[in-house]
Amino acid sequence: MNYGIVIKVLGSLLLFEAIALVPSLGISLYTGEHDSQAFTYTILILITVGFAMVKIPNKSRRIKSKEALTIVTLGWILVSFFGSLPFVFSGSIPSFVDAFFETISGLTTTGATIIDDIEVLPKGILFWRSFTHWLGGMGILVLTLAILPAIGVGGFQIFKAESPGPISDKLVPRMKDTAKILYTAYLGITILQIILLYIGGLSFYESLIHTFGTVGTGGFSTRNSSIGAFDSSYIVLVIAFFMIVSGVNFSLYYDLYKRRWRGIIRNSELKLYLSIIAACVLLITINLNGKLYDSLFDTFKHALFQVASFITTTGYATTNYEEWTSFSRAILFFLMFVGGSAGSTGGGVKVIRLLILFKLVKREIAKILHPRAMIPVQINGKVISSDVVASVTSFFFLYLILFAVGTLLISLEGIGFLSASSSVAATLGNIGPGFEFVGPTQTYSQFTVPSKLFLSLLMLFGRLELFTVFILLTPSFWEK
Amino acid sequence: MHIIIVGAGKLGYKLAETLSQENSNVVIIDIDNKALERVNNNLDVLTVKANGVELKVLKQLNIKNFDLMIAVTSSDETNILVSSMAKKLGCHRVMARVRNPEYGNQLDYIKRQMDIDYIANPELETAKEIAKYLLQTHAVHMEDFAKGKVGMVDFRVKNIQDMVGKKLRELDIPQCVLIAAILRNGEIIIPHGDTELLSTDIIYVIGQKESINSFSKEIGTPINKKAVKKALILGGGKAGYYLANKLIQNHVAVKIIERDRERCKYLAEQFPNALVIHGDGTDSNLLSEENVFEMDALISLTGYDEENLLLALLGKQYGINKVIAKVSRPNYIPIIEKLGIDVAMNPVTITASGILRFIQGGRVASLSLLLGGQAEVLEIIAKENSKVVENKLSSLGLPKGMIIGAVVHKGNVIIPDGNAVIYPGDRVIVFCLQSEVASIEKLFYRQKGGLINELWDSYKGTRKSTSI
Repeated sequence: MNYGIVIKVLGSLLLFEAIALVPSLGISLYTGEHDSQAFTYTILILITVGFAMVKIPNKSRRIKSKEALTIVTLGWILVSFFGSLPFVFSGSIPSFVDAFFETISGLTTTGATIIDDIEVLPKGILFWRSFTHWLGGMGILVLTLAILPAIGVGGFQIFKAESPGPISDKLVPRMKDTAKILYTAYLGITILQIILLYIGGLSFYESLIHTFGTVGTGGFSTRNSSIGAFDSSYIVLVIAFFMIVSGVNFSLYYDLYKRRWRGIIRNSELKLYLSIIAACVLLITINLNGKLYDSLFDTFKHALFQVASFITTTGYATTNYEEWTSFSRAILFFLMFVGGSAGSTGGGVKVIRLLILFKLVKREIAKILHPRAMIPVQINGKVISSDVVASVTSFFFLYLILFAVGTLLISLEGIGFLSASSSVAATLGNIGPGFEFVGPTQTYSQFTVPSKLFLSLLMLFGRLELFTVFILLTPSFWEK
Repeated sequence: MHIIIVGAGKLGYKLAETLSQENSNVVIIDIDNKALERVNNNLDVLTVKANGVELKVLKQLNIKNFDLMIAVTSSDETNILVSSMAKKLGCHRVMARVRNPEYGNQLDYIKRQMDIDYIANPELETAKEIAKYLLQTHAVHMEDFAKGKVGMVDFRVKNIQDMVGKKLRELDIPQCVLIAAILRNGEIIIPHGDTELLSTDIIYVIGQKESINSFSKEIGTPINKKAVKKALILGGGKAGYYLANKLIQNHVAVKIIERDRERCKYLAEQFPNALVIHGDGTDSNLLSEENVFEMDALISLTGYDEENLLLALLGKQYGINKVIAKVSRPNYIPIIEKLGIDVAMNPVTITASGILRFIQGGRVASLSLLLGGQAEVLEIIAKENSKVVENKLSSLGLPKGMIIGAVVHKGNVIIPDGNAVIYPGDRVIVFCLQSEVASIEKLFYRQKGGLINELWDSYKGTRKSTSI
């Protein structure tokens, strides 16, 4: 392994994090609250460590898959580590483990929080908390890649390791340009939502915070009762719309820009994604109609919002869905496993993997009828190679194994089965809130320290799509 | 520049590698997933799994927005068809690889009728290179630049007794000669005054031609002025065919040993003046029967790199003067220089050099790739207003991996030092590591300009790449 380049790239990542902290510092200086020192110290530490790492001499600039995997996993851990310092320094979250949990939850766009009362925290700290969603959504390394000139050839390896989905394709020949295009789309969507929320009567600050939480599909809010606090149908619908938008493969927005309509309309992942949303909203609306809410529109509104929030793994809430019927809650529970599309900011298993698995099952059935038939697995008219199919099935298996093992371990806390299983599903799928013990009105603060660390690891597993992290845990990876 | 390459084989890969490092946006098409995966893992290019012959595919890729298409699949016919179609669809320039000797005589006709700008024939070009080496009377293999005024040769340091272990600044070398690069353990390094020479090194020397000749005499490398009279070619494939043809034209007695009976028959019909022997080149009885000891040169051109290398070593063992092996795969390049074979010809590198020279068009007067493309030697005519002219070299901030080997100013060859100045119209011979090729663009072609221009260029870069 080429440790020189790994350290160098990680160093530039930390320098980049220092820059990313500047807006939060600005806000804390503007509001004049006590947290500005916390940011200043963190930035100084990041600059010192980052520069020291960048200056380490390296023999070659080549990044192979091994280096890329190390860079991505260690990069996320390092950024989370240093990103949690402002919380500790400012005293907002005194325990380091809690602060680390909060930061990694932000960066992985999970949105699980250990803060019981958000509204008392300083504005700069809350801004940083939500800004981590935005950074982590499209991948912080991809962003570094787009800005830094130094990383060339190995860039695609990093991109592959960080971006979600079984097949990551470039849009244009250069990795850097691909990263720029994706971030332009991301930025465009962000700005549009900020404007729409601002028009809806939110303060500029709260528009920013909730936009970060939405487009990053994170779920951090400034209010204890999440989006429900605003009590505005307009806000609810805007956020629901942008959650759904952020769960779509971002390369489709490039197609949109290029006016390749056919590619978009015929994209089977998009079709399935939208169909799942439509079906679930319909089922919940019918199921809840007349039971909890005053009007059909209200029922529809809450159903749409909650379905969008769960499938895109955002984790915002407009209502206490714990009061819903068990059928509706079961739908939400299973949506936790679906997740967004490949190449989106959403987490979970991803719609495309389910689509491939579904086609695989279809093929098995056809093969029983016609044992000698050759049936390729096709998505969007393209044959999915057997390597990808194999990686999808093993991903799904590993996901379920992690879910099962995680549930067993968290059950040691002595909480109910639904609480344990939904907390694991919510962290592994990067959703945030779950059911009962970790429901929309609860937080993760009651967990013990080992459980918090374990759940943090699960969030990282989920965000980096299992294998990237798993490989680093195998001894053979480190053998020379 | 936007470039599309059809076929991700050895040559396609090499081209994609070189071109993407030179700041071009490269798209590479192949039908083989494995080949594309290899490209994806190592290069910063866009891969597309599709068949380039399909009109639909070319249209989908928006072929009319590309500056260049290079068709290098394994089939000549496919290459011709794809490039011709691309041209008709509006691709600016197209190239095809065509290797079949049957097409060899009608390439010009094909080029004209099919509207193809450049046809690359690796075997023919390899054969030409080999013939050039065999027929020249120089002591050493020399690359020519600036219309033969400047030459570049490589020496083994171990043959030069008083060089080993010395630093470059302590060496007594003539004024008109420069040690431009050192090949050490399969890697090219650009030396400076304090670099110490090791006995295993190979040095690349650039300079005025006469000076180089006298230099090589001075340091006492074995000089052999005898041109080749009798050559033994092992393997009668395409390259063997072209080489035999070339050598016979130059009145060299040629023996070809070929394993395939039908091929032997064909070669015998084509070359009545050559002796075609049906047999196995690795059979030592056959070789001694055919008086291998009396040959001036042995060229192994079979389809297997390993066999070629071993046969060449065997030839050296027999005491043959010039021994050449064809080695297509880049994997062996780092060790070849250690084996003691005179020259290892790499058709891929030779063809890539040819194609790159064509792409650079008028901008680069000549170009050769060294050591599997680790470094390039370019001859560039300095333009007015480029950054490189009318400035002291020391003030240009040349990157470490680049050295200006020679400047031909008004017909005089100058080996520049830090105080030298390049004037518009001068021919500049630049030795450059692959990693620094991009800065050639900056130094020689871009107009002088400040930070704003740089930023604007990088912005244009992104915009251009999104226009595909």
